[in-house]
Amino acid sequence: MSKKTAPRLTVTELQHKYGDRPVIEGLTFTLAAGQAIALVGPNGAGKTTVLKCIVGSADPAAGKILLDGLPIDERAEAVRRDVATLLDDLDFFPDLTAAEHLDLLARAHGNPEPEDLVDTLLDDIGLLGAADQLPGSLSSGQRRRLALATALVRPRKLLVLDEPEARLDTGGVQWLSDRLLEEKKSGTSILFASHDPALVETVADSIVTLTPLP
Amino acid sequence: MSSADGPVVFDPADFGAIPSSRSLRAWMRKTRRRHADRSFWQVFENIYLVVFTLAMAGATGGNVLRQLNASSARCTSISCQDFVNYLPWILVPLLVATTLRVLLSVGPVSASRAAGFWLLATPVNRTALLRPAYWLVIAVVAVVGALTSLIAWSLLGSQWRSIWEASVLTASLLICAACVTVWAQQRAVRTKWTLRFADLLLLAAAIPAIWLATQREPEPDATQFANVVINQSEADSLLTSGPTRLLVIGLVCLVVLLALVIVTARTLDQLTRTSVIAGGELLAGLAGAASSLDISMLADVVAGRHWRLKGRVHSRRGRGSRGAALVHREFLRILRWPRRLVIGFALLVVPYAVAGTGFDVLVPVAAGFAGFIAVRPLMDGLRSVCRSTGLVRALGMDLRELRVLMAVVPGLFAALWSLLALPALADGPATFAVAAGIISGAVRQASARPPSYAGPLVASPMGAIPPGLFSQPMRGFDLLLLCLAPVLLGLSSTWVLAIPAFVLAIMFAVRPKTD
Repeated sequence: MSKKTAPRLTVTELQHKYGDRPVIEGLTFTLAAGQAIALVGPNGAGKTTVLKCIVGSADPAAGKILLDGLPIDERAEAVRRDVATLLDDLDFFPDLTAAEHLDLLARAHGNPEPEDLVDTLLDDIGLLGAADQLPGSLSSGQRRRLALATALVRPRKLLVLDEPEARLDTGGVQWLSDRLLEEKKSGTSILFASHDPALVETVADSIVTLTPLP
Repeated sequence: MSSADGPVVFDPADFGAIPSSRSLRAWMRKTRRRHADRSFWQVFENIYLVVFTLAMAGATGGNVLRQLNASSARCTSISCQDFVNYLPWILVPLLVATTLRVLLSVGPVSASRAAGFWLLATPVNRTALLRPAYWLVIAVVAVVGALTSLIAWSLLGSQWRSIWEASVLTASLLICAACVTVWAQQRAVRTKWTLRFADLLLLAAAIPAIWLATQREPEPDATQFANVVINQSEADSLLTSGPTRLLVIGLVCLVVLLALVIVTARTLDQLTRTSVIAGGELLAGLAGAASSLDISMLADVVAGRHWRLKGRVHSRRGRGSRGAALVHREFLRILRWPRRLVIGFALLVVPYAVAGTGFDVLVPVAAGFAGFIAVRPLMDGLRSVCRSTGLVRALGMDLRELRVLMAVVPGLFAALWSLLALPALADGPATFAVAAGIISGAVRQASARPPSYAGPLVASPMGAIPPGLFSQPMRGFDLLLLCLAPVLLGLSSTWVLAIPAFVLAIMFAVRPKTD
């Protein structure tokens, strides 16, 4: 870490198993406010599993995960308010437009008049022209951009992203890189898994390398 | 928030109090209404036929039930009384066990992936968000429980007052079971123990079933005498109890259930998003299969989920080459889910139980359907092959040849199953007809193509549908009934052997259709 700040996220001796087979063993790291950690490693190394454990989509076999010093529990309101995640569990309401999805999320987080915020964000991610399109008519890249926008339309202290560069074009990856740097500047902590060395190099303050267990 | 020129920066001032679930749902309703392309009356025009059909079916079903109730009440054999006395001890644990298992497989509280991401991951009150799904589960369980016991007790020839009492008690019991599943959904360990309890209930249901299956018809004179005594005592008990008992039972159930349901509702915030979404995904898959009236696809969805949850098993090497390798692989694949084999063999109790009650004419039909249910799940391999042209290409064989090879192991199981049912069937040719019906029916259902919307479509109140859609649920059962027809019609042994043999020969000689 380049700066000494209080840890926002603390992961201690994390362990996870699929059946009897361990996929993560003894993983320990801390993430401070305004910092970014990249999880890297080959397919099957457990990057997504680590992220799932952190956001409560998977139960660790052992270890501690603390958010601002408290055990992280996806059911707690504070965790749902402060942690923005983008894993592979995203789906869309087929009858709500791109703009309405973002509008809904902003409202659910307590913004009663999010129209300007949504328009600005749609413009920022290059989806203003697709604002009225239903999810079924969006391309996979547009859906990915919309998914990324979900993390930005709401309050967040911690961003958890699984391969955020997936399905983005070159311009999109550049936008993402700039965007994540902005997030760090505004104090958001970022934990992301990635296969893109350039993105990792640009954004991450630390790198955690995972290797598949035998 | 930033200006439109620069990137969006989070400004806490934009965000205030978290909205209520109710206001959020109201916003969604309002937004969706703006997209609606049909008026209320247009929707009503489309559904009135469904409502009308349901009303007609309900009226007809009710009438049939009354007739069956009256004719069952006239049954004076000791077998009937045994059946009446023991069936509740089979039915009630079976219903509770099934409720526990089915509800835990779909949640019971569930939500779509979209709702899971866009609503449940937000700070909005989770209890309030999940409450509608919870009440829906309770309502469905209550209706299913009441209807099932209404039908069962009517068929047993009980008095109407007893039928209503049984319905109230069964529905209440199943609602309690539903509350238990909601509690169990909150922790994996609770789910595990609840499932074990459901298995114990299944065993408990098997005991009276086996007892019934091993009974022999006593002497006719004793039968008549015993029956009169039993009927008299039942009538007395009803006269002394009166409608007050029904009222008291109903009130007690209402109070207990209200307390239990409300207490359980308060724990909904303990449900994890993952457990809620998992059931939603399963339900979405099942709804898709149900919309195409494809029973096999329903089973596929359940089996697919089982293997996804299992995730990892020990790899086992095959033996032989070409056909022998495929047969060996099928054998190993079937052994990989032993529960199905156990259930398959447990279903042998059905023909014996029916034979034990003295309804000899129904034994082949009961054996046929029970055997079909036992064997059909073993044909997943055949089903995968028939639904994937890529897999057929990769295996490098003709689909007809593959169908024969993939049916060898389930076919042997069907033959063994039928042989074990032989003492109940008490007839060699009938046993052959049952075995042939099970194999040909299960193969036909497993190798069915999905309904194709690419070809010609027929207009219906539900929109355009493929012509063969409504015959889809009968697929497989048609051949089973065809094989059993000579037995049911009392034809000579030659026909009882010839017709099923012909069906089997045609079944495996014809090349399955592909897209």
